[in-house]
Amino acid sequence: MSRNFIDGNEIRITVKDKIFCDVEFFTGEKFENLEPRRLFPVSGLSEYITFLDENGEEQFIVRKLDNMEPLQKELLLGCLEEYYRIPKITRLISRSEKHKIWLWNVETDRGNYTFEIINHIQSMKMFYDKRILIKDGNDNRYEIPNIYELDKRSQKLILPDM
Amino acid sequence: MIPKDLLINKPASEKIVAIAEEQFKGKEKPLFAVVGDLAVDSRYGEGAVYVTDNRIVAVGDGFDDGFISLDFTNIAEISVKRMYGNAVLKAKTTGGSTLDLMRFTFAVADMCDAVADFITKVNEGETVENRFAAVEVTFRNLRSFCPKCGRKLASPTSECLNCKGKKKMVSTLYRYIKPYMGKLIFCIFLSIITTGAALVPPYVTSMMVDNIIPNRDKRMLVIIILFLLGVYFAQYAIGALRSYILRVAGDGIIADLKKEIYAKAQYLPMKFYDKTSTGSVINRVNSDTTVLQQFMLRITQEAVVQLFMMIGIIIIMLSMNWRLTLLSLIPVPVVVVCSRFFGKKIGPLYRRIWRRGVAISSILADTIPGIRIVKSFSKEEKTIKKFSYHIDDWMAEDKKVAKVAAIFPAAITFLITCGSVIIWFVGGKMVIDTPDKLSLGVLVSFISYTSMFYTPVNFFANLSDSYQNALASTEKVMDIINAEPEHDFGKGSEMGVMQGRIEFRNVNFSFDRSKKVLNDINFVIEPGDVVGIVGTTGSGKSTLINLLMRFYDDYEGEIFVDGVNIRDIDMSYYRSQIGYVQQEPMMFRDTIFNNIAYSLPGAHPEQVLNAADIANAHGFISRLPDAYDTMLGERGVGLSGGEKQRLSIARAVLKNPGILIFDEATSAVDSETEKLIQDAINRLIRGRTTLMIAHRLSTLRKANKIIVVDKGNIIEFGSPEKLMALKGKYYKLIQIQSMSEQVAAEKAAENFE
Ligand SMILES: Nc1ncnc2c1ncn2[C@@H]1O[C@H](COP(=O)(O)OP(=O)(O)OP(=O)(O)O)[C@@H](O)[C@H]1O
Ligand SMILES: [Mg+2]
Repeated sequence: MSRNFIDGNEIRITVKDKIFCDVEFFTGEKFENLEPRRLFPVSGLSEYITFLDENGEEQFIVRKLDNMEPLQKELLLGCLEEYYRIPKITRLISRSEKHKIWLWNVETDRGNYTFEIINHIQSMKMFYDKRILIKDGNDNRYEIPNIYELDKRSQKLILPDM
Repeated sequence: MIPKDLLINKPASEKIVAIAEEQFKGKEKPLFAVVGDLAVDSRYGEGAVYVTDNRIVAVGDGFDDGFISLDFTNIAEISVKRMYGNAVLKAKTTGGSTLDLMRFTFAVADMCDAVADFITKVNEGETVENRFAAVEVTFRNLRSFCPKCGRKLASPTSECLNCKGKKKMVSTLYRYIKPYMGKLIFCIFLSIITTGAALVPPYVTSMMVDNIIPNRDKRMLVIIILFLLGVYFAQYAIGALRSYILRVAGDGIIADLKKEIYAKAQYLPMKFYDKTSTGSVINRVNSDTTVLQQFMLRITQEAVVQLFMMIGIIIIMLSMNWRLTLLSLIPVPVVVVCSRFFGKKIGPLYRRIWRRGVAISSILADTIPGIRIVKSFSKEEKTIKKFSYHIDDWMAEDKKVAKVAAIFPAAITFLITCGSVIIWFVGGKMVIDTPDKLSLGVLVSFISYTSMFYTPVNFFANLSDSYQNALASTEKVMDIINAEPEHDFGKGSEMGVMQGRIEFRNVNFSFDRSKKVLNDINFVIEPGDVVGIVGTTGSGKSTLINLLMRFYDDYEGEIFVDGVNIRDIDMSYYRSQIGYVQQEPMMFRDTIFNNIAYSLPGAHPEQVLNAADIANAHGFISRLPDAYDTMLGERGVGLSGGEKQRLSIARAVLKNPGILIFDEATSAVDSETEKLIQDAINRLIRGRTTLMIAHRLSTLRKANKIIVVDKGNIIEFGSPEKLMALKGKYYKLIQIQSMSEQVAAEKAAENFE
């Protein structure tokens, strides 16, 4: 069985309920209530988007979003943003340890939040020498797109553990 | 009204409470409530749901009036939709529209699951009291944190193992030193002698310069020389003895440390190993212990010795000339301040180095055992490259440390030298100006003492470097030593021969919050039942067994064996009563005999032969040149999959367990071997409660009960006949498989014609 790869410009989508969308092909074929998902949620944010139906069955995969109409692309990315919630940390307000559990109080692009990390080594990962992904004690995720763009104090707190 | 002691996960904001109070103005009381942590637009914010026995009220900014109320009778379906890093409590009304009741991160997902479960089950006709009890359990689990340290407890009443077993770094380290205290103190005693001896020569110098040489006293010279020789001999002989004893004691410390970490690692829960790389465990046992031991010796030996030396020298210097002594102490505060600064600078660097060391060990632990794969894909070069990359990374980091670690001692030494230059200058002037106050001999020996004095100062200045390094390692070693072991609350409570009645009651489980793996599992297996567990791959079959084996114990709900909660049974007794043949049979680097006898140490050879026979393994073993003495490689290299499988069955047989579990015991073998293994299993299961996971349904002929698992739910349970009559999933699976068997048979027939 071969996967059904298509290009971004072959479809038109209408977002229905935040993370669900209807898809119409230019050939006239129609799908309803599909859920787009990233196949590479960590490394490829706007390529290889798979579309699942209500039973979780894959219908097709969009290779790249680049050749989608800008408006369409925006719609789809908005849809994905709803699903993938990875707040970007913009500042580490404070960090304290109590009995081996670290409490991070952070400022993110979605507001301030406090979360727990049990183990820094296991919960933080650095990519391309600047991007840091964090998973907290509840398996929520956070991202620091570029650690060197944070303020000096945050850097000083975070970098020794990387 | 809202009761004061409402079951709620955390206090809601005033705004929400106000709206909720408006809703529950009359007599009606909510049973429980969940406060969420996200707003509808996925920013951090607040929302809440209040649940009574017949309706749910969701409060939040996303609703037109700030809230929405839904009667249970209007809810067709309610569930938690887990997304990525967030989830939504969704309800479908009987009218066909869907509503998002609340959005939240995984931090509150468990409680929202409880809400959805509550409403669904109540709608299905279960009593409110029953379901509310289940909700209470979820909330209690959430709240069962240790009041001291805030860690989650295994059960609300249990003691916090973390706090109980927690020892401060110093007291832990002290425990390892204690057995060798006698030796170490003796060593300190010896080194005080050698230190004292080292202080003699400068004193002798001043005698030479001031008395013997000016007086041309040859007799005294000879005496002095012989005396010096004696002192030197004693110093080095005692030094040799000391380093021998010290090394032996040091080896003892490190051996104890390694043994203890390894022992501790054996009792750590599976959860620890799911998350921790083998490399980092190996690193801790091997290199971190060495760093620690060296540090301990430094602290208990050299530090003491250097301290004595420092005090001794200061006393001698003071007795010689107090002015000069004070002068020579000038750089000391600077040195102390510098070394503190240095410690702060280098500490984080050592943590980074540690992380890189782990990366390297992880690659080793990953690729060396996987060398077959590496070779089969011709990935040697790539593996080498990856390894080199990490080594280079480590090197770059170490270079940073090297810079700091090189500059600092040089700077310190320079400061110290400045100190002695001051002495040269001031002392020289004093000898010239007022020779009666300071003689030449005293100045010369004073200068020697000054340079000796700075050895301890230097040592203490550099101690922060090795302290920081040791700290990084200590943390990691402590990680294991202080980690919570598997909970064994029922230690000592054994219950004779197990009958094998197994009951799962409201069991929920997830490896991590992002995905629920088992959902509200309920079933009862009677003693002697042979139960087939079927379901698509990844549906949670092995996980079910993992829970029964108590590999993971942070599930919700309860599991009973013979009516006793398995958490209350002695762990090692409990596991000894269960024969578990795993999906991936695991052998050790040992002989076949020992591998089988692993389950029953000290087994009689005939018992082992018998077990091998029952497992249909005796045949192939006896044909091996070394038969039962055949040495297997690591993880059982040297045997085929089916052979390993049969050895692991033999292992289970030898144990003579009350409950047998087979996880895909015949997945990796041809149909002939499958038959052999199947025969072995059939011989084994007589009279024992048996759980069999199988993809090939033909292996389940003996089963009198079938559990069908689908996406973490038990969707069918009962006798095969009953399930066939049900025409559900099991029926479908049977149809598909017998169809393909039929096709295969037809094909075979065609080929013969
Ligand atoms: N250690 C683990 N950590 C996280 N998730 C896990 C872990 N082990 C299993 N899972 C996940 O749990 C789910 C159930 O796994 P399980 O091994 O129970 O499946 P199974 O029914 O035994 O499948 P199979 O028939 O292939 O053996 C799978 O989705 C799997 O990805
Ligand atoms: Mg399995």
